[in-house]
Amino acid sequence: METLVGQEAINPLLLYLGCGLGAVGVIVAMPRRGLSLALFGLLIGALGVGLLALGLGIHAGGDGLPNPAFYVFGAIALASALRMITHPRPVYAALYFILTVIASSGLYLLLSAEFMAFALIIIYAGAILITYLFVIMLATQTPTEEEGDNLSDYDATAREPAIASAFGFVLVAVLTNMLTLGTPGLPAAVATGDDALIQLPERLQDGFAEAGLLSDGERLVIGETGRVVTNESGAVAVIAEGSERRYIERAEWPADLSPSNVERVGLNLLRDHPMTIEIAGVILLMAMLGATVLARKQVDLEEEAKAHQAKKLAETFEKGTPA
Amino acid sequence: MSDLLVTLGQAGYPEAMPSVTLDHYLVLSALMFGLGLIGFVTRRNLIIMFLCTELMFQAAGLALIAFGRYHLNFDGQTFVIFVLTIAAAEAAMALALVVLLFRRRESLDASAWTELKG
Repeated sequence: METLVGQEAINPLLLYLGCGLGAVGVIVAMPRRGLSLALFGLLIGALGVGLLALGLGIHAGGDGLPNPAFYVFGAIALASALRMITHPRPVYAALYFILTVIASSGLYLLLSAEFMAFALIIIYAGAILITYLFVIMLATQTPTEEEGDNLSDYDATAREPAIASAFGFVLVAVLTNMLTLGTPGLPAAVATGDDALIQLPERLQDGFAEAGLLSDGERLVIGETGRVVTNESGAVAVIAEGSERRYIERAEWPADLSPSNVERVGLNLLRDHPMTIEIAGVILLMAMLGATVLARKQVDLEEEAKAHQAKKLAETFEKGTPA
Repeated sequence: MSDLLVTLGQAGYPEAMPSVTLDHYLVLSALMFGLGLIGFVTRRNLIIMFLCTELMFQAAGLALIAFGRYHLNFDGQTFVIFVLTIAAAEAAMALALVVLLFRRRESLDASAWTELKG
């Protein structure tokens, strides 16, 4: 892998121009009373981001470019993120955010993080955003007659869009400044899959059996820690009833035998960071308690309303039971 | 499913990602974070402000996963589980607070609470 120290990945001028165009696009796209210029702003912003991508692409050449799907998912994520922060109606903003989440999970797939991609959709699009939508529906004012578009004032106009966008894109320019300096290339990392497999004896056993490496009655030797016993060169020990140990060298292992993403995340989570799940559980429990305490409200029903409800319930019950 | 991954060119045993490609992901992540920040500052609706913090979490998660892929380890993905946890906890607490504030003022405007600035 080539090392990029001291080589600039993108011309600084191009970087600042792209950020400037992006900032102008966001300012134009911000919600305002009267004329809506969102599409126009989206185009200017796209031009800025396109410049950045072009600059990066020129440097990378044909081979270094990311997968074409990256550009599709990235464009969807950025466009819907822009529309989310500029759309005057909260429900639409939440729906555009779901689009951003789905595009990000596509990017996770490209980064071979399948487990996190699905977890992202389930947790974000499935749980968090639904909570947001419920709260938006709970906490919306009844529209007044005078306002034609029944948008509240605080939804229809942005607060200081020019200054905020300028500072926001200055931050982006500083964050991406490493592009003008070049980033050091890493040496190709050592494959870690084999070590993960040593801790998955059943998986290894099945893989060997499928590849025909085990004769009848042979099984892996499992040590006290639950790992497969290996010799100094990393070969795995197998044993059959009443015979000597035999070692299977790594070179003989089937090539397609590698732990899946879920297995690796699980190993990393529970072996290297065993406390994370506990801490996450405590945080979620505290949040649940806090939310319950905060949102609790005594509902006082009038005596009349109570009687009415009881009557209605009794009627439904009678209808539901067979005669 | 595995066919899809083969089409995307990322199936099976991952190889180290080139640093130029890492740059692409980091730029995307920085842009998403910037948009979330701008949205948080400019929008006046409390709910949209919290949605913008979720966008910033997304950007951080993307950068973490890209770095994890670059260094070929799984710490990035483990950390994203934490990001998701914090996002869920934050959503629960923040939205409960928003509902509470809305009951007091009948408005979601952040500037309805300017007296809190002390």
